[in-house]
Amino acid sequence: MRWLGIAVVVFIAAPLVIVVPMSFSNARSLQFPPPGYSFGYYQAYFTDMSWLVPTWNSILIATATTVLTMLLVVPATFALVRHKFRGKGIADLMMLMPLAVPHIVMAVGYYSYFGNVGIVHTHLGVILAHTCLSVPIAFLVLSANLKGFDRTLERAALSLGASPTKTFIHVTLPILRPGLIISALFAFVQSFDETVVAIFISGRGAETLPRKMFDSIRQEADPVIAVISTLLFLAVIVGVTAPLLVARIRSRRTPATA
Amino acid sequence: MSSYLKLSGISKSYGQFTALQTVDLDIKKGEFVTFLGPSGSGKTTTLMIIAGFEQATSGSVEVNGKSLFGLAPHERNIGIVFQNYGLFPHKTAAQNVYFPLQMRGINKAAGMRKAEEMLDLVGLQGFGHRYPKELSGGQQQRVALARALVFEPSLLLLDEPLGALDKNLREQMQIEIKRIQRALGVTTIFVTHDQSEAMSMSDRIVVFEKGRIQQVATPLDIYHRPETKFVAGFIGESNLVDAKVSDAAKGEARSAALGKVEYAVTDKVANDNDVTLMIRPEHIRLSRNPIEGRKNVRMKVETIVNYGDNALVIGMVEGQPMRVRVLGADVVIIREGEEFCISWTRDSVYMIAK
Repeated sequence: MRWLGIAVVVFIAAPLVIVVPMSFSNARSLQFPPPGYSFGYYQAYFTDMSWLVPTWNSILIATATTVLTMLLVVPATFALVRHKFRGKGIADLMMLMPLAVPHIVMAVGYYSYFGNVGIVHTHLGVILAHTCLSVPIAFLVLSANLKGFDRTLERAALSLGASPTKTFIHVTLPILRPGLIISALFAFVQSFDETVVAIFISGRGAETLPRKMFDSIRQEADPVIAVISTLLFLAVIVGVTAPLLVARIRSRRTPATA
Repeated sequence: MSSYLKLSGISKSYGQFTALQTVDLDIKKGEFVTFLGPSGSGKTTTLMIIAGFEQATSGSVEVNGKSLFGLAPHERNIGIVFQNYGLFPHKTAAQNVYFPLQMRGINKAAGMRKAEEMLDLVGLQGFGHRYPKELSGGQQQRVALARALVFEPSLLLLDEPLGALDKNLREQMQIEIKRIQRALGVTTIFVTHDQSEAMSMSDRIVVFEKGRIQQVATPLDIYHRPETKFVAGFIGESNLVDAKVSDAAKGEARSAALGKVEYAVTDKVANDNDVTLMIRPEHIRLSRNPIEGRKNVRMKVETIVNYGDNALVIGMVEGQPMRVRVLGADVVIIREGEEFCISWTRDSVYMIAK
């Protein structure tokens, strides 16, 4: 069993082992093992506008998608989890629908529809499309959190003199904060990572990083792709371990102040 | 009696189902009153109507002469301790206790000082910086109590607050809650389905059943002078014997199983009325031979339930089950299947008219 586990980990981690050395390669195109090592492609990435603009586009689009998603999902989740109303079943289904429809089908739809409206190849178009894809994911995460929320806490706050608004601000939101952060993070990552819809509708005007990488690997196999993969991998490691580290430091500090 | 909390004609129905039916109740300032009843009897519903979380279908709630009608829960100034405490997990104990003061616009320095004082009063000195998950069940309970009292509420409501604690801790908390309640003199309503809790803590007990108040009385009156058969059966162990009054003036009734039984006359009931006679198991004596001056019947022992310090001997008298309380030391001489004499005096037979 243990060997099987190790085999699975090695198999899954293998691409990383290949990608990271390739990013330090001095070869002209993607090649493993690299013939020699240099920081040349890191320099290329950080100076070449044809890479930096898509990176900026992706950050901008993912951020806007996250904000828009949360503005829609937070009220919708409260309504769907806490209230009963006519058509609730259908509303629940509609929230999750984009998960069930293949991205390629959505992409074709957006391409022709946004074309008619005139927002294909714009940031706005990509943001709207990505929001549609992020909403069900953020909704799933947040509604699971909200269902587990102990409503006695809100009653307690009311009985202690907090108005419904203050109860929401001082009790409901802080307790739901981890759920809100995770659901926003999922929305962000979904947009940042999304390729199919981006290929169809981002065009030259709002080219995202995944789209640029896809084009690049098809045309020239530029080792900058390995650089970006490595940087993204690093960002994920930092993103995952930082909260754990913060929690550990905080829990070590609490008894000390006792 | 000057009434501080006044419930008048409170009814509550959910569609066809009637949860409460014309509940009237007067509670004095500083009183500790327990709502006792089985689950679904309406005690918690009444509490939630007082707190403002439920709306009565009809009737009114007044505190100190002022109607609470139309006031939202946060405008009522009533402290509540919930069954699972409802402590805010993201706040420390002191911040939890400070919360109601914060909502009343009291500045942080003064409010936190008062919160710490309150934590001292409930016996949690030095625990203010801990988060609820770092506290034991009993300690969380104390924090919840401090938080419900720190803003000097007009009423304190306790909704089965001891249900989650083990037996020893529960007894300790019963004493603590009484001590704190006396120290502050706050008018308190305590909801429970545990009769011993109600007995040991209350100034008065309100017994609920099926959405109605069955009886309002002191613990001793509830125990010794229950007004209804339900109260007699719900509070403590009791022998309830159906009988027909044969001589109302002298206090005599006839029961199919026990024959002629004399009872203490406390209530006027005409001859030939059906009544229930209550004899508490601890008022019955078990002996080998009849005892002079007492009503004696023979009972065959069927089951012995041993509690250590005492035991309950359950037997049959002419098809009527009877329960007798004996001291733990005496139980060794009693065997299941043996026949004994059981006897009692007239004074220990209490007649219930309805």
